[in-house]
Amino acid sequence: MAAQEGPLWFLWDPFILYVILVLLAPDVFYIVSWLIAPSRPSRVKRMAFESGQAPIRSAISTFPIEYFPYVIIYIAYAVVAVLVFFSLLAVIEVGVTPMTLMLLTVAAVVSVYVGTRLKVAGGKRG
Amino acid sequence: MIAEQIAQTVTSMPEPLRTLFTWIFSDAFVKAAVFPGALFSTVLGMFAVWYERKLLARVMLRVGPLHVGKVSGVLQLVADAIKFLAKELITPSGAIKPLFWTMPSIALILSLLLYAFLPFGAGWIIYPSEIGLLLFFAVLALSPVPILLAAYASGSKYPFIGLVRLALQLFSYEVPLFLALAGVVMMAGSFNIERIVKAQAVVPFIVPQVLGFLVFFVAALAESERVPFDIPTAESEIVFGWQTEYSGAHFVIIQLAAYEKTLALCILGALLYLGGWHGPPIPFLPDSVTAPFWVVLKALILFTVMVLIRGAYPRLTIDRVLDLGWRYLIPLSLINLLIVASILELQNFLYNLGW
Repeated sequence: MAAQEGPLWFLWDPFILYVILVLLAPDVFYIVSWLIAPSRPSRVKRMAFESGQAPIRSAISTFPIEYFPYVIIYIAYAVVAVLVFFSLLAVIEVGVTPMTLMLLTVAAVVSVYVGTRLKVAGGKRG
Repeated sequence: MIAEQIAQTVTSMPEPLRTLFTWIFSDAFVKAAVFPGALFSTVLGMFAVWYERKLLARVMLRVGPLHVGKVSGVLQLVADAIKFLAKELITPSGAIKPLFWTMPSIALILSLLLYAFLPFGAGWIIYPSEIGLLLFFAVLALSPVPILLAAYASGSKYPFIGLVRLALQLFSYEVPLFLALAGVVMMAGSFNIERIVKAQAVVPFIVPQVLGFLVFFVAALAESERVPFDIPTAESEIVFGWQTEYSGAHFVIIQLAAYEKTLALCILGALLYLGGWHGPPIPFLPDSVTAPFWVVLKALILFTVMVLIRGAYPRLTIDRVLDLGWRYLIPLSLINLLIVASILELQNFLYNLGW
């Protein structure tokens, strides 16, 4: 078709057309809202919501440290995820080998062991 | 006969009109704008909200939406949307304005973009790709970022508490989700979702991979902040979590983004574990119609289970959420991978014996 090579060629590609439509989707809501919503800002309306209290000090407070050990575990398991990803590529390429099985067994056993041992913020149970 | 007549009328039209007509009936427009693109995903999202409210009401022995629209309050959502859009958009004085205004839109864009990589039948896909599942996961892994930035940009205390909870929850459930998907990829031998569905022609993957499916489903619940895992927006404790400062159109967009993400995960679950578009043939209907029907039906069954869980379970505390993710789901997903690898090795072994 001749139109597919013109300046509007991208309209004939489903993915590009979908991305354009998706980029337009939120704007529809904002345009309708701009047309029908009132705009009468006041100092009280613009205050941060704190159940009726006037806010004191900055909202950005400290990050609770009690779950910090999970961040360390995340790093360990991120490495496991990379390992699994590469073994996936290997399986797609050459099929399952005894080595893959062994690696996965080690990963599974270690994760079960860690799961039974790990107790973070355990005292808070009730 | 009628098709020929239509073709003749179209070719006899003057030039700009003819191109417009061929464009509207072209593959690109139908896929991107109608099905499975923009129109379908928004209508599915709106239907899901109505369906959830109605079903949840039945669980609680209520009636649910009733008065707007002719049957069972089907137009309730339209009324709600108009009400929200007619509200004033308030920017709190402590907010970082550019981030606060753009992040809801980016959340919705990322959620809708997930549908580009989901096939609804052979060829019913917007962006066919050999690494479709990886692309889906990449967009899914990006989707917490606008939410975290939105919470940070609100400059208010309740959103900040929600932000901390959200960060801890989402990052602990992404690893098990990936490991559960890895089992499916290993069994099908491909990242292409269409091929994964074709590999389930005889037995859907839920049969050998029950563990993987459970891990996927629980992780999907947590990723989309559905009820047992809704601590980032826990209404009765921290007002509305990270969404507290958002009003009007912002709020509609955030809610739509959340529902689109949930439904995309339901559809993915139907494709990867429940056999996708494989189902009993329906008489007088071609495959191109029955395939999407089965996918959507299976996805809605998964969504029904999610709603029933919402009706039945109380909210988990944050230490239990983290415990479940790190101490149970990750070991279970690794055991599932081991089972899959063993099944494949056993198949190899039997094949070499001459079975």
